[in-house]
Amino acid sequence: MIRLPAAAFAAVLFVVPVLPAAVPVVTVLGLIGLLLAAVGIATLWRWPVTSAACVSLTDYTAALWLTDAPVSVAAAAGFGLSLLLLLQSIELARCMRHATVDAGSARSIIARWCGFGAVMLVATLSAMPLAIPLAALVPHAAAPFVAAAGVLGAVLALTATVLRPRR
Amino acid sequence: MTARLTPLGLSLLTVAAWALSFAVLSARAELFVAALPLVLALATLTLRRSAPDYSLIHEVSADRVFEGESLTVTVTVTAKSAVPLMELLEPLPRDCNLASGLNRGVMALRPGQTASFRYEMRCPVRGVHALGTIVVRVRDPWSVRAWERRHVDPKLVRVYPRIAPLRSLPRPLHTQTSIGDYVSPALGEGIEPGDIRQFTPGDRIRQVNWRASLRLGSLYVTQRHRERNADVVLMLDTLAEVGVRPETTLDLGVRAAASLATAYLARKDRVGLIVYGGLMDWVRPGSGRAQYERLADTLLKADVVFTYVAKDLALVPPRVLSPHALVIAVTPLLDQRFTKATLDLAARGFDIIVLVVSPVDVTRGMLAPSETDDLACRLWTLERRARLDWLRRHGLAVLEWNPAEPLEPTLAGLERRRPRLAAAR
Repeated sequence: MIRLPAAAFAAVLFVVPVLPAAVPVVTVLGLIGLLLAAVGIATLWRWPVTSAACVSLTDYTAALWLTDAPVSVAAAAGFGLSLLLLLQSIELARCMRHATVDAGSARSIIARWCGFGAVMLVATLSAMPLAIPLAALVPHAAAPFVAAAGVLGAVLALTATVLRPRR
Repeated sequence: MTARLTPLGLSLLTVAAWALSFAVLSARAELFVAALPLVLALATLTLRRSAPDYSLIHEVSADRVFEGESLTVTVTVTAKSAVPLMELLEPLPRDCNLASGLNRGVMALRPGQTASFRYEMRCPVRGVHALGTIVVRVRDPWSVRAWERRHVDPKLVRVYPRIAPLRSLPRPLHTQTSIGDYVSPALGEGIEPGDIRQFTPGDRIRQVNWRASLRLGSLYVTQRHRERNADVVLMLDTLAEVGVRPETTLDLGVRAAASLATAYLARKDRVGLIVYGGLMDWVRPGSGRAQYERLADTLLKADVVFTYVAKDLALVPPRVLSPHALVIAVTPLLDQRFTKATLDLAARGFDIIVLVVSPVDVTRGMLAPSETDDLACRLWTLERRARLDWLRRHGLAVLEWNPAEPLEPTLAGLERRRPRLAAAR
């Protein structure tokens, strides 16, 4: 039962790239991702699920690159949420395996996920109108460097946050 | 409480970095958006959170059980602050297993909320088991950070050997001075008629034997045998054992000793114990409920401790091994040192019975059926039979007990001479 949400999120990760770009490369990559996710869901190992998330991201990138479709924020936010919740649901399933689970626990966690998803979607859709005028301020030639610097900064900041010693 | 990054946090970092890298390489805004939930989940690590506050109560339904019985463990948690997700694990003691429920619990609690989980644990092996160590892991709302703690609230559970009811017990040859259930050769107050003698001043009228008095023409009184108790010393061989717990020859011997102790104590006898092995231990003879507790506590700790040293029974104080005690040696007769000790006691004039727990049947029960093993067991049986006959020739009362059968018929098979009337004390 606890594996069902994980399976649903894996299915979303397969469908989102394949729908706009139903080409063999995208489908095969999606299937590999789905297979890894299935292994992870069956065994509750972390590494196949992490690999499945990375493969699905590659698949999504390939789909976007091949189709050159207009920006779809809702689909992207849904894909990102599915990535997060796939990893979370596997972790939850690992945690609840061979354990007596208090009835309210799963309910409160799923409610937290739904709340986060709704806030995330609303925030992203609200932020997009602000992002377009801001992007116009950046010179066209410097845009890739600004983006790369921003990403590098974000990844380094996250790494520092994750790896710093804790009390 | 120690906080640490969970493996999920590292997975999220990997996937987020992957998404952001692809976003830059492909110049697609969707991948930034897709990375956003992961980044936000990781960003919660920057928030300073103190460890969730809670209290934990660990309860055990019984602290004393018999082998094979179950007990219920209840763990109750009351949250003082919000606990997003809590895992609790109580490792089971060695040789114990789950009868129902699970020894792991998962719960999410609001401030002030109380939740509990319980499980039933079966203890098939005697011993003292320590419970009350609970490993707690509390996760933050996105499971990227966890606090771990070990709660130690030690609770000892004593698992006593199983007791078989025994009705026919070997009678001791000698009795002691306290009142008990055995008809003593000595004459005095009692129920069992013994002898008649002429009336002397001071005799009570109710003691007059009217029939003899009328026939003999003068007053005669009936003398009666006293009813006395006996000292019984159980000597347990812990030098060697065969078999797999909880059915080793030592476990079976401990159960037999516990059953004998219970039965003799019920007859108001004084029962003592000598654990003869690598480590020697003893309990002075005594009677009553408290004595049973002392004997059971010593028996449940009995274990084989290997040694090359032959222990001398002279180390045992005389008040433990009193000269008129009935000594019941419980042994698989696997070690010559124990045989020598029993012969030594017999030579010193002790009333001794050797109860042999057959190791052949225990070993045969462990092995898969095969002709070779069967032949080996038969040869072993012959060799042991010869040894038991040799012991009988030395004047020892030897009883061989096949653990597959109840102990009662084995004990009932012992033929002992009645106490001599002349040996009045």
